Order: sequence, then structure tokens, then C-alpha cells
Amino acid sequence: MLRFVLILLSTVLLWAVTAQLNHALAPWRLYVFVGALAVTLPALTFTLRTGLFASFIGGLLYDAVAPVTFGTHAFLFALTHVVVFNLRERLPRDDTLSRVVIALFANLGLFLVFSFTQVARSPAPASLWPRLFADLACSQILLALIAPWCFAIQARALALTDYEAKRFA
Amino acid sequence: MPKRLDQARPFLTLGLVVAAWLIIPTVFKTFTRASFFELTAPVGVAASYARDLQEYWTLRLHSNSELIEAGRDLARLNASYDLAVQQNIEMQGEIARLEGILRLPSYTGYHSEHARVVRRDFSGWWQRLTIRKGKNYNLTVGAPVVFSGGVVGRVSEVFAYTATVDLISSQTVRLAAVVEGDTRPISYQGGLNPTFGSAGGVIEFVPLDIFASANSAKRLVTSGLGGVFPPGLTIGSVIKVEPSTDGLFKSGEVKLDDRLAALTEVTVLLPLETP
Repeated sequence: MLRFVLILLSTVLLWAVTAQLNHALAPWRLYVFVGALAVTLPALTFTLRTGLFASFIGGLLYDAVAPVTFGTHAFLFALTHVVVFNLRERLPRDDTLSRVVIALFANLGLFLVFSFTQVARSPAPASLWPRLFADLACSQILLALIAPWCFAIQARALALTDYEAKRFA
Repeated sequence: MPKRLDQARPFLTLGLVVAAWLIIPTVFKTFTRASFFELTAPVGVAASYARDLQEYWTLRLHSNSELIEAGRDLARLNASYDLAVQQNIEMQGEIARLEGILRLPSYTGYHSEHARVVRRDFSGWWQRLTIRKGKNYNLTVGAPVVFSGGVVGRVSEVFAYTATVDLISSQTVRLAAVVEGDTRPISYQGGLNPTFGSAGGVIEFVPLDIFASANSAKRLVTSGLGGVFPPGLTIGSVIKVEPSTDGLFKSGEVKLDDRLAALTEVTVLLPLETP
């Protein structure tokens, strides 16, 4: 339970940082989304039940502050979690670089799938894609930059519970 | 457990979670959503107070002579506004007198509630603001939000001490508008938000005899139809109109005020309750 709470708190921190960054970027019409960071570490290290629950609740947190059907982010985060969880035995997952690469792919998938769910509401969907691709590029760059910091925070927080502390810290 | 089934186990678990989520009552979901929002609200509010404090200390660095100059400019502005207020009162009296003579229904009155912006959330998917007033100031869902440049949007959700505003640049906002000087309503919808560019929207059902271009832009204002926005508030400038595919109307593009992207304070218009 404590592990779950710590991961949820790290998700809140991640959301708060990106929310402030998006507030500052608004005049330039740029937006960053790094939701995959809330999913990657739990998917690579937790048991299925705990990790899935953490990802799902983290998604609900994102849903609460977005004008989408409540559960959209939660479902997408849970789906990403399951896909990464299923692949994790076949992936190198102990070094930071591998985790960053996995997070980049997960974020790419999340961003594109979420965009497809939202683009239909636009009066001019074709004109929306250049903006979305610019946002995606910024998001991926930011993710690559902050992912090691985010994983370190999550790992240090988990070390508090002595959960395979030696392995992740 | 067979290996194949073991590989499918995560997806089966996800399926169960989704099925459980779908049968959860809507009341529970609504409560959970509000709870999660309230959980995150202090983060944004604290950050906005910190920004206000930062701005305060920045202003404290101004010299006395700069403040005296600013005070003098402000006094001049106040004098001109005082005059405008007097004219406004006189015109309102005239409107009331004409409404009485012609037995017309009176316009809805509004009172203004100023609110600081907590958070700007301008993605390609949606365009929203979070403001630092909510149920504690009796804000209501659907209330129009304005600033000195015209329409900002409308309140979409109200929480304990914050509220969210859907911007007119958001694709979720659609309203009836008129080109200044014309009375025929046209449909406006937000949704054009290019990177590094000005936000915009599209208009539909534009009469064929209306022409506009980037060089001779026309002001688009609220029509007052629908009863949400008072008539005559600026939405943006019509910069392009072209015949639509059906040939009966035109459609076009609207450029919105660039200041929308950097708002720090807005005004919510709350309808006055009729006695």
C-alpha cells in the first residue's frame, strides 16, 4: 500500500511540474505531456496488481483535470502498463537508459492514441495535426531530459519502503 | 498455468478492471473526479499565490518617481472612466425609458466577479483556464468570462474554491455571433491553435454578402442569442471567408486576441437575479 501511495505522490509531483511548465509555455502555444513517466517504472518493477492499480489511479488524476470522459487517461495508462508489463521480461530494464527509451515509446503511443480520441471534436482536424506533432516533439524532448530525475525520485521513494531498495536506488 | 494463458493474464486483468469501471455508478465516478480535482487544486493555487508574491516583490523594486508617474497616468485614466461611467448611467436610463415605452423585455443584468488565473492549460486537444474563485463566490457553470479585449470563454466546471473556464479558442466552445454592423447570426467554433501563432476559430453559415480578408478584417461580436453572453462583446477578427461547399453560405476563419494566451486576471459575469 505504501509503495502505491509513494508512486501516486510522485505522479502528483510530475503532474504539478508539467502543469506549471505548460502554464509558462501557454503564450507560445506549446504543450508538453509526459504521462508515460507515471506508468513506466511501476510497469517495469511492480507486481501486476499493484502496478496496474497505481497506473490506473494515476490516470484518474490526469482525468480529473482534463475535459475528457472520466476514465479515458486511466484506461490508456492501464493499457500502456499492461503492454509494457507483458514485454518487460524481453527488455533490458535495469539501466536508466533502457527505461528512458521504454518511456519514450510508451509516451509516443499514449500521445498518439489520446490524440486520435480527441481529434474528432475539432472543426478542422487536418490543421490540428501540425500543432500536435510540435507538442509531441517537445514532450519527447522533455521526457528524455527529466526521465532520469523522475525515475530517481520514484526509486528513492520506493527505497523508503525497502522494496528491493538495493536494486532500484 | 499454460504459458500462453500466462501471457494473456495482464490483458485479462485489464479487461476485468475496465469491466468493473464500466459498472461503477456515475455518482461514484463524479465524486471521485471532484475529489481528485480538489486534491490537485492546492498545488495550482499555491503556485499562483507564489507568482503573485513574486510580482509584488518585482513591483517593490520600482523607484518612487516611477510610481508617481504611474499614479499620474492612472489618475488620468480614472478621470476618463468616470466620464464614461456617467455617460453609461445616462444611456442605461435612456434604454430603460425606451423599454418602458415600447414594452420590450429588458436585457439580463450582470454583476462582475474578478478572478486571478491559477493555471493555463492550452493543448492542441483543449484550451482551458483554472481561476481562483469557485463555489465560494457563487460562480455557476456556463457563466460568461470576459476581459478587456472581449470574450474569454465560459465557466465549464465549478469546484469549492476554483473553477475551470473553456476558452473561446477551444474546440469545445461553440456560440452564436454576428459580424459587427450586421444582425444575422452565424456559428462560431474555436479550435485553430497553431504553435507560435495566434489562436483562432472557424465560422459557418456566414451570409454570402459578407466579405472579409486579412487586410480588411471584420470584427466578430457576440449576438446575445442563447442568453449566455451579452450582445456586442468582441470575439475576434474575421480574416477569411470563402463560399462553403453547399453554396448557400460562406465559412471562414477568425483570429482571436493574442492577449488570451497570457491572461492573469479575468472577469466572470454572473446574471443578476430578477426580483
